[in-house]
Amino acid sequence: MKPAPFVYLVPESPGEVVDALRAYGDGKILAGGQSLVPMMNMRLARPEALVDVTRIGELAGIRRTGRTSIGATTRQKDVLADAGLGAEFPVIHAALENVGHTANRARGTFGGSVAHADPAAELPAVMLALDAEMMIMGPDGERTVAADDFFITYYTTDLDVDELLTEVRLPQRPPAAWGFQEVTRRHGDFALAGAVVTAHTDETRAVDSARVVLFGVTDRPVRAERAEEALVGHRLDEAGLARAVAELATEGLDYTDDVHVPGRYRRDASVALVQRAVRDAAKSVEG
Amino acid sequence: MASESFTMPAHRYVGRPVKRVEDPRLLTGKARFVDDLTLPGMVHASFVRSPHAHARIVEIDTADALALDGVLAVYTGEDLKHLRPMVSDGLPREELIAPPRMPLPSDKVRFVGEAVAVVVATSPYLAEDGRDLVDVTWDPLPVVVDPRQALQPDAPLLHESFGTNNCAHIADSAGDPERAFAEADHIVTKHFSHGRSTGAPIGLRGVVAEFEAQGGGQLTVYPSSQIPHSLRREIASTLGLPEGRVTVRVPDVGGAFGLTVTIFPEDVIIPELARLLGRPVKWIEDRWENLATSVHSKGMESTMEIAVDADGTFRAFRAHLITDAGAYSSLYSTPLCDSITAATMLPSVYAVDDVAYTIDNPLTNKCHIGAIRGVGWEPGQLLRETAIDEVARTLGMDPVELRIRNMIGPEPRRAAFGQTYDGGSYVESLERARDEIGYDAFRERQRTLREEGRFVGIGFSPFVEPTGWASKSGHANGQPVNFFDSASVTMEPDGSVTVTTGLHSHGQGHETTFAQVAADELGVDFGMVRVHYGDTDSAVFGMGTHSSRGAVIGTGSIVAAAGEVRGRLIALAADMLEASPDDVELRDGQAMIKGVASKALPIAKVAEFAYFGGEARTEAVTQRGLTATRTYDPLETYANGAAAAIVEVDVETGAITLERIVAVEDCGVVLNPMIVKGQVAGAVAMGIGIALLEDLVYEDNGAFVSGSLLHYLYPTTAEVPMLDLHSIQTPSAVSVGGVKGVGEAGTISTPAAIVNAIADALSPFGVSIDRAPVTPMYIRDVLRAAAERDPA
Amino acid sequence: MAIEKREGPTVVHLQVNGEAHTAVAEPRLLLSDFLRQTLGLTGTHVGCEQGVCGACTVMVDGSPVRSCLTFAVQVAGSSVETVEGLAVDGKLAPIQEAFRTEHGLQCGFCTPGFLISANAFLDEHPEPSVEEIREHMSGNVCRCTGYQGIVAAVRKAAELRREVTDGV
Repeated sequence: MKPAPFVYLVPESPGEVVDALRAYGDGKILAGGQSLVPMMNMRLARPEALVDVTRIGELAGIRRTGRTSIGATTRQKDVLADAGLGAEFPVIHAALENVGHTANRARGTFGGSVAHADPAAELPAVMLALDAEMMIMGPDGERTVAADDFFITYYTTDLDVDELLTEVRLPQRPPAAWGFQEVTRRHGDFALAGAVVTAHTDETRAVDSARVVLFGVTDRPVRAERAEEALVGHRLDEAGLARAVAELATEGLDYTDDVHVPGRYRRDASVALVQRAVRDAAKSVEG
Repeated sequence: MASESFTMPAHRYVGRPVKRVEDPRLLTGKARFVDDLTLPGMVHASFVRSPHAHARIVEIDTADALALDGVLAVYTGEDLKHLRPMVSDGLPREELIAPPRMPLPSDKVRFVGEAVAVVVATSPYLAEDGRDLVDVTWDPLPVVVDPRQALQPDAPLLHESFGTNNCAHIADSAGDPERAFAEADHIVTKHFSHGRSTGAPIGLRGVVAEFEAQGGGQLTVYPSSQIPHSLRREIASTLGLPEGRVTVRVPDVGGAFGLTVTIFPEDVIIPELARLLGRPVKWIEDRWENLATSVHSKGMESTMEIAVDADGTFRAFRAHLITDAGAYSSLYSTPLCDSITAATMLPSVYAVDDVAYTIDNPLTNKCHIGAIRGVGWEPGQLLRETAIDEVARTLGMDPVELRIRNMIGPEPRRAAFGQTYDGGSYVESLERARDEIGYDAFRERQRTLREEGRFVGIGFSPFVEPTGWASKSGHANGQPVNFFDSASVTMEPDGSVTVTTGLHSHGQGHETTFAQVAADELGVDFGMVRVHYGDTDSAVFGMGTHSSRGAVIGTGSIVAAAGEVRGRLIALAADMLEASPDDVELRDGQAMIKGVASKALPIAKVAEFAYFGGEARTEAVTQRGLTATRTYDPLETYANGAAAAIVEVDVETGAITLERIVAVEDCGVVLNPMIVKGQVAGAVAMGIGIALLEDLVYEDNGAFVSGSLLHYLYPTTAEVPMLDLHSIQTPSAVSVGGVKGVGEAGTISTPAAIVNAIADALSPFGVSIDRAPVTPMYIRDVLRAAAERDPA
Repeated sequence: MAIEKREGPTVVHLQVNGEAHTAVAEPRLLLSDFLRQTLGLTGTHVGCEQGVCGACTVMVDGSPVRSCLTFAVQVAGSSVETVEGLAVDGKLAPIQEAFRTEHGLQCGFCTPGFLISANAFLDEHPEPSVEEIREHMSGNVCRCTGYQGIVAAVRKAAELRREVTDGV
């Protein structure tokens, strides 16, 4: 399976990336290539140009200037190897351990996975659960988009065709509690269903704000807002809470139904996974 | 009896875990697989394939493809009409219809991925570019993908002239099953819908071919094939060349598992293109082509009934099996490779002589089925062993006790449909599996965990399987094909030994094991023996490696041929030592008088004399030298064993965790225990895939949706636990050296053990597991249905 | 536009197994094909061109990478290591020796990818448990061995590598 021909461009700055994308209307950003190149090899994608963004130093690296931010072309393996990030946002490490395998993470980039927006991918869901902010560079300059507004539908984000995700900014205050659950056919595969729970708690350990995110079940990662409200004011380890939250979280969703995985399965699995994620979140604040 | 004519001398190498001679080149990247071959002037082929499951070919426009720089030629079915049709008529059963198949069709396509044209270009990249520019106009036809529907009289026909899709309807019985069913206390019925899987070796299929027109024409083909000589026959016949002018030389092969027992259109098209173009042509499949267009296997709708008495005695077995044969009858397995094998082994290890089966083999608009590891023995095993567990649950009996009660003894025995089992360790292997997995302790643990809301289960799967497949096993098991296999053994003037064989090796280590056998037979150092296979120029005819035949056929043919050479060496050495041949032995590179170490000659000296000793040599050596070619066509030989599995089922998500697998294998005398363990482990892993992961899925319109490794799921290190492997050696009563085959056993036995374990885990819910692979989605469906039936 | 652009075949410089190479590659030429066809290093194998099977795994600048998902032009200036670079002066590396003694290969097609991946894994985890081995080696697929010999080989290689560093 060999790809169709393309022009290969190596810009040296984010501005040049935008110029290149504008010059080649059917061009695509090449970061890690772990999602794009398989599609090109199968000729499901035939971009006329690939804009390699991995030689632009300022796009890579984890920065800590008040808030932690992850440069879009930071390799997933480097995010996973960053102990400081793992201590601050353990939910990101938990997700990354389930993203493909070592060789995929060696090339795959943090921003690449976020921008690719596979509905069954782990990182977009975690960004939504963390209320992360996407820093975007385009022809009109820079803009910021909250995760809540970034993921539109299958493989579609708020990025325009001539825009580049430059950085993901994490919240100033990491969540006190977190839970990450998914079910896959095999280790490292895309999720059949997944749930991420993050929460901030007050001094009595009651939740004062929370996010409950489902992924792999519909066209994008989604927040379960009624479930989030149900957590507020309660301790995570309260009897019956996990079950009640799971029921609320899994109602009324347009579950993806295909020949491989029926929607009814995604719903059943989600009920279990939300419960388990809430219980994991409860454990994460113990001691 | 064959084993009396040949003896195997004291084993210096056989039975030892000799390190493999294949390994150094494989470990250093120096092996040559088909895609590693480059010939001067070589060009590359890419096939244009149908996106439709069933459609008339209206027109093929090749103009744009031909106009592309780098594209040399495009061929369609019209261009290759002169080739003889490929017909799977090698299995002489009158019930079988054998639809012909043009290598490239001109009229219609019958499955998604069927090739209709081939583009040749100067690089594989350009060949694919050219492929994309070929414009085919299609007229879609009605599709049939359900095998039961394909049997209906109003179903769309795949081959109109036959008036039916059913390749064969066969019914047979033995004893008096009808009476047994009428009289039995209980009848337990089990349905099973078996998934569609394939070998999917990591190495991709390919063919490189070169035709030399001068001097009468000589075709050399380098395919990834398990059956070099048989392939040569088909290529020669299709292209209208004498077999003697076709050389098939198989390079290193990246796994096969039966895939290349089937002969494909590409196998004959690429050589023909080499002839037409006058330059070497290479084709390597891609993974989509491997999954969509090579061979599929084991897809089967089946029903089994067991007539059983209240005390648990099995009275009769009856089964109806419907294969999902795909669009063509594969060369040369035919759809019977799955159905007749499952059917004729129905009684398996049980003392049941009242048996009946019916099989149907409808064609469907899918990739054709062929012989893949375990063939129909595995789905037959799954059907029967899950049915037996149902009997156990129905009668409230322990599933191990129930089996042992009904199992045959270890002596050779005639089975219901006429096979002759050559003895084994049927009960012993099941008991061993039960003990090794800690059965009693497990039941305790199961009870405790259930109280905690966790569901673990255990399953067992004792089996017997034909190995050493050749004429007699074929005839006894419903596939009456006559086989021819041979080996040639030559001692060179310096005492080194060359073994050539029509068998093949694609991972089994025969380059090593056959050398062990020859070295022991001739008393030489293992390092002095070289085994050469896969080359029709060097080996006399043979029918390749598949159906767990390599060890048996290899041992028998090599011992026979080497034995002859040994006899001549001993007689000559006796002359040279002035002793009687009865007093001379070959050992450790020496020809010596038994017990008298000082009276010895290096075998190399004897060999040199055999060639150049002139008048002083024996008559036998003068006439026949130190080379011998012998054939071997063994009596039936059957391996056996048992698998046991423990699983945990997460009833909320349906996820299944495989905790433990125990596999007990009795493959008779073991040539190399390291290699045997490896074969069992690999086969078990494939069984795990069949049970839990692997399925080739088609939508109702015939679209194939499992064409990538993200959908066709290989077991990885994460899914295959550390296995508990045990060995019993019951020598075959009939094969040379008492050897039996081993390649398929783990695949045949493991799925049933796993499915039984899952059903056992879920027995509190009263659910039945009726399909494989058992996916989390299916688990949730059966549990949800059970909860709806019984909300308590 | 002043941006570096490659269209059609251009020259690529990179290091492979310690040797500098200069060769021509069009942008779409996969690194796997560059190594195998352009440089004649056929030890790296192609099993899927999707990044799933792992047979094509090579080291790029110290990390294991799917060469089937990488364009040769992307690694211009980089250092690549393939299976051909493991043995030194004909002597098998510990990982190769271990695969041999523990029967970690049968047909050998997946083996180069496993050797490279296992070596990279042992660099990061010099004393792995069986569970760690099983988790980290799950990115390479073998169809022949059922993995028993592979897991045993990685453990053995860890031992052998320690012996080398301990000067035994």
